[in-house]
Amino acid sequence: MAFEDLLEDPVIQKYLHELVGPKGMPVAAAPPDGEVTDEELAEELDLELNDVRRALFILYENDLATYRRLRDEDSGWLTYLWTFEYDNIPENLEEEMYRLHEALDERREYERNHEFYLCEICSIRFEFGEAMDFNFECPECGSPLESMDNNRLVDAMDDRLDALEDELNIDADA
Amino acid sequence: MVTVSVSAAEAELTDDERAGLELVRESGGIHQSDFWKELDVSSRKGSRIVESLVEKELVDREETVYDGHNTYYISPTARDLDFTLLMAGDMLSPFIGEEEVDPNSDAFSQWIMNLAYEE
Repeated sequence: MAFEDLLEDPVIQKYLHELVGPKGMPVAAAPPDGEVTDEELAEELDLELNDVRRALFILYENDLATYRRLRDEDSGWLTYLWTFEYDNIPENLEEEMYRLHEALDERREYERNHEFYLCEICSIRFEFGEAMDFNFECPECGSPLESMDNNRLVDAMDDRLDALEDELNIDADA
Repeated sequence: MVTVSVSAAEAELTDDERAGLELVRESGGIHQSDFWKELDVSSRKGSRIVESLVEKELVDREETVYDGHNTYYISPTARDLDFTLLMAGDMLSPFIGEEEVDPNSDAFSQWIMNLAYEE
């Protein structure tokens, strides 16, 4: 098996699981050295060929696998020879860290610039304008909506934004 | 293709190379002209160390202009990043596997709740 050092990282395992799902995980979690066919993988891992192919194409779409096609001269059939490209995992996750940073930054603006009201029974949150339209009564259960302080959310977002900026060398004032 | 694991490449470094790698990681990125001064080696030796680390894919190098001179900027590779920053509690960033980033999605609200109340 290849890329053992990367696959030891629990975040990377979770990432692969998120991409290929539970059925594809046996394929994603045990990349062989060198080239392999879908049929060999299905045989070795005792999986349905379709599940193997599905996982391989998801990896391909995420730049984590490549293939080359060979035509059998007698039968004319095509064979796909797959190579796992897990060296790209760190760059993919780096990109995800940038995307997360952008989303947190935008969401923090929204959280700072709005006032919220909460139905404590249904755990539904409303913006001030919505709450006013409902006369500060929950449209689901009729209980009064209480003003809700989101400082704890904003503080948690601040901390994570700082950590991401530090890690990615993003200039927060830029 | 033979895959040499990065930790194996790291185990074979000379003391100077190891010190150089540490410097790049700790600084988060450094210009080559500062790199050899900080390491207290000659500029020629500094550039040999960088060359070797780049070849082993342990650092990234890009051309830049610094203090009016052409130099290189040496930075850690993506492998050195702390990927746990994508997690909130046991939940991974909900944007993984998604084309679009929606900062107001329910999944992201859940992620932020985890961040605020489970860490």
